[in-house]
Amino acid sequence: MSDVLDILSVDRPSTPEVTKESILGTDGKKKRKRLLDVSSFKRPEGMHRELYALLYADHRDPPPLMSTDTGQGYKQVKAKLGLKKVRPWKWMPFTNPARKDAIFLCHWRRVADESKDYPFARFNKVTIQIPTYTDTEYQQLLSDTWSRADTDYLMEMCKQYDQRFVIIHDRWDKTAHGDRSIEDMKERYYSICNALARARGGPDVAVRAYDADHERRRKDQLNKLYHRTQEQVEEEQTLLSELRKIEQRKREREKKTQDLQKLITAADSSSTESRKTEKKGGPKKRFPIHKNARTEGTPLESTGIKFPDVKSCGVSLRSHRMKLPTTVGQRKTKTIEQLLQELGIDLNPMPTEEMSLHFNELRSDMVLLYELKLALATCEFELQTLRHQYEALAPPGKVILSNWSLLLSLSEDTPGPAQEILVVKLSFYDFRDHKVDCDFINSCVLF
Amino acid sequence: MTDEVGALVFDMGHYSIRAGYAGEDSPKIPRCCVCQAEIPSTYGVTEEVTNGGVGEPMDMDGGPAPQKKYFFDTNSLHVAKRGMEAVTFLKDGMIEDWDAFEKSLDYLYEKHIRSDPHLHPVLMSEVSWNTRAKREKLTELMFEKYNIPAFYLVKNAVLAAFANGRSTGLILDSGASQTSAVPVHDGYVLTQAIVQPHQRVQITKWGSGRFWCMGAAVVKIPLAGDFLTHQCKLVLEENNIELVPPYLIAAKDAVKDLEAPRWTRKSGLPEVTKSWHSYMVKEMLQDFQSTVLQVSDSPYDKESVENMPTVHYELPNGYNQDFGVERFHIPEGLFDPTTIKGASASTIGVAQVVTTSLGMCDIDVRPSLYGSVIVTGGNTLLQGFTDRLNRDLSAKTPPSMRLKIISSNANTERRYGAWIGGSILASLVQVYEVSPNLVLWMGKQGTFQQMWISKQEYDEGGKSQVDRKCP
Repeated sequence: MSDVLDILSVDRPSTPEVTKESILGTDGKKKRKRLLDVSSFKRPEGMHRELYALLYADHRDPPPLMSTDTGQGYKQVKAKLGLKKVRPWKWMPFTNPARKDAIFLCHWRRVADESKDYPFARFNKVTIQIPTYTDTEYQQLLSDTWSRADTDYLMEMCKQYDQRFVIIHDRWDKTAHGDRSIEDMKERYYSICNALARARGGPDVAVRAYDADHERRRKDQLNKLYHRTQEQVEEEQTLLSELRKIEQRKREREKKTQDLQKLITAADSSSTESRKTEKKGGPKKRFPIHKNARTEGTPLESTGIKFPDVKSCGVSLRSHRMKLPTTVGQRKTKTIEQLLQELGIDLNPMPTEEMSLHFNELRSDMVLLYELKLALATCEFELQTLRHQYEALAPPGKVILSNWSLLLSLSEDTPGPAQEILVVKLSFYDFRDHKVDCDFINSCVLF
Repeated sequence: MTDEVGALVFDMGHYSIRAGYAGEDSPKIPRCCVCQAEIPSTYGVTEEVTNGGVGEPMDMDGGPAPQKKYFFDTNSLHVAKRGMEAVTFLKDGMIEDWDAFEKSLDYLYEKHIRSDPHLHPVLMSEVSWNTRAKREKLTELMFEKYNIPAFYLVKNAVLAAFANGRSTGLILDSGASQTSAVPVHDGYVLTQAIVQPHQRVQITKWGSGRFWCMGAAVVKIPLAGDFLTHQCKLVLEENNIELVPPYLIAAKDAVKDLEAPRWTRKSGLPEVTKSWHSYMVKEMLQDFQSTVLQVSDSPYDKESVENMPTVHYELPNGYNQDFGVERFHIPEGLFDPTTIKGASASTIGVAQVVTTSLGMCDIDVRPSLYGSVIVTGGNTLLQGFTDRLNRDLSAKTPPSMRLKIISSNANTERRYGAWIGGSILASLVQVYEVSPNLVLWMGKQGTFQQMWISKQEYDEGGKSQVDRKCP
């Protein structure tokens, strides 16, 4: 630029003095000037802010007409060095205040800093406080199974190795002071600390608790865990996986019995007195709480179709009430259609009040029936497989009464009394003439 | 943050001696023509009855006894000289020949460091099983003869841990002469200090020695770099391959695979000693070892290994061949000593060294040791070493522990592990940047400068200071 100015004979200010700011490019003056520019140049009327931002993004400079590489960009301008007086370094001796001896070592430092303190002295840490005791204190407070010599040795070691008990144990002179475990050492050390603290600071001094017995037991357990053989580890693994399998099976069985129970209750309720109330209550099915002890306490959900309430959504067509809710699966829908065709009923009857009610109820019952059939089929299948299993396990000639199995399948979720009845019944049969082995009874009880 | 006090770091091993200024990232001396300040720990020594030898490296003050002449460093060691024995002053990692040790220090100060010893504090590494007498003697020597301003002695396992940014870990150091497993806790080696003499089993032949149990937790076996070199020699000799070190060869012709080599012997060689010749053979084999050998991923199995790629290698006399099965068979002995011929049943492999050592530590520190098994030493640079170690160790790790193997990928960092740790430690405040754990270790002292044994302390307290100040 300066050449151009020279050619155009434009006056320019003499070269500014080189300061630290100009070297580092943090000139305050420039910034102020630029700020002024910004305030004077306003966004033209009607120009979008985004467009304006694109134009004047960086330093609010006007965009260049041709490509340049004079802008600062991301590059640092070369520092203009060598204009300041050098600050010499000197190889000089120094003392470290943390050392008690007058030392000797030298290091490089600026001459200007010569008289200053050693800068790293602040890293000098305070020594860990190891309690000390007098003879009388020892006699009064600290007498123990440990001898005085051993105790002194322990305190000395604690001091030398900063209470690193692992190291102390490692370096412990076993011939002179006996073989002691880390826990023994810790117990002794902490008891000394506590005794001294209590004696000196009164009863309410914070005491460091150390439960040596617990530590010993813990270490014992850890050792046992560490020294397990490969077989033991594998055995544990297999046992765990077996347990997981058993639990999974149990969950599955529970779920199945629950489903079955639901179906049975639904069938019961829909066939008895609840029908009347439902007729009045509309398409939404509600199940009265069963008086039977078997179902008490377990709220049951409908297994039929739950038709949505359309009351809340203003004007609607009555035929909407007859629409199957989306929760009903494709297969169920198909089955309903099939059954309706078998019965010769129109798939979409005239939706009078009564018709829609009945139609919905019918379909709900159909689904229930369908599900009951399904459940029955599975139950029978299971019964068959169980029977085969039993026959395979037990020697032939032992007959199982089919009603046992029925009892079994029914009593899967029955609470205590029913189970007892079952067992009693079983033993009754047993006494009569059928020989049933104990395992089987046990398995029944487990059910 | 660094504070240079011009400290020197020395690390001695059976393969080489490393020296350099603290604060560098590898043992080197700036402004030194031989930049790498690493000299072989084997040196040549001749005994001459003549008085007033010419100013070759180092002369001992004369006397009625035959004068010993020492030849240090690669250059002078590699010249064939009449009656020159190749020996080392170390035995079992500890300094045995103090005269020679002094000479080697003289040599290092004069030729490599080229500065006055009294200007530089010295940090030295030692093996974890160093004896008290030797430590004290070393301290005495450094202060009395070299008049150094301050001295510090650290176990090389601790330094290797520091080099990897840890203060706790199990250091598996596989160097030239030994493979050792040393547990380090909070910057202290767990030695269970008392070494029972009967626990030491003398090793008579390579591979036939049993493991040495130093005290309790430090375990070492002689299965390391030198063992592999020896195995290489055995295998090559078995295959009727002549081992001719380069110093014998005047010229050679290129020959095809497996053909008999055609080379001419150098004439006018002086009569060399057996030890020097075998050192030359060893050096040759070390190259073979580092080029060809590889540890197989799974336990050695001839069928699977035969499908692995072969490596072509040419010996100095021109003989060349592809090495396939041997590549894997030779180093297998490290991990499975039963494959070594003539090995006693009680010899244990590398992975077992680690587990044996871990099994002797307190159960409370075991998890942290399992969590950082640090691999260091030149022999671990063998291809596939850490992979195999990882495999073998994982199989032996109980499910209650989490195994982690720490090994730096850079060659120099593993070769100079202990030296780098010393470099970090001696330049004190840098320590804060390496790992907060090291700060914990310094708990008492704060900065490393407080830990030096100063000349003044030595003058007042004597050589036993080293036992008090250097754990």
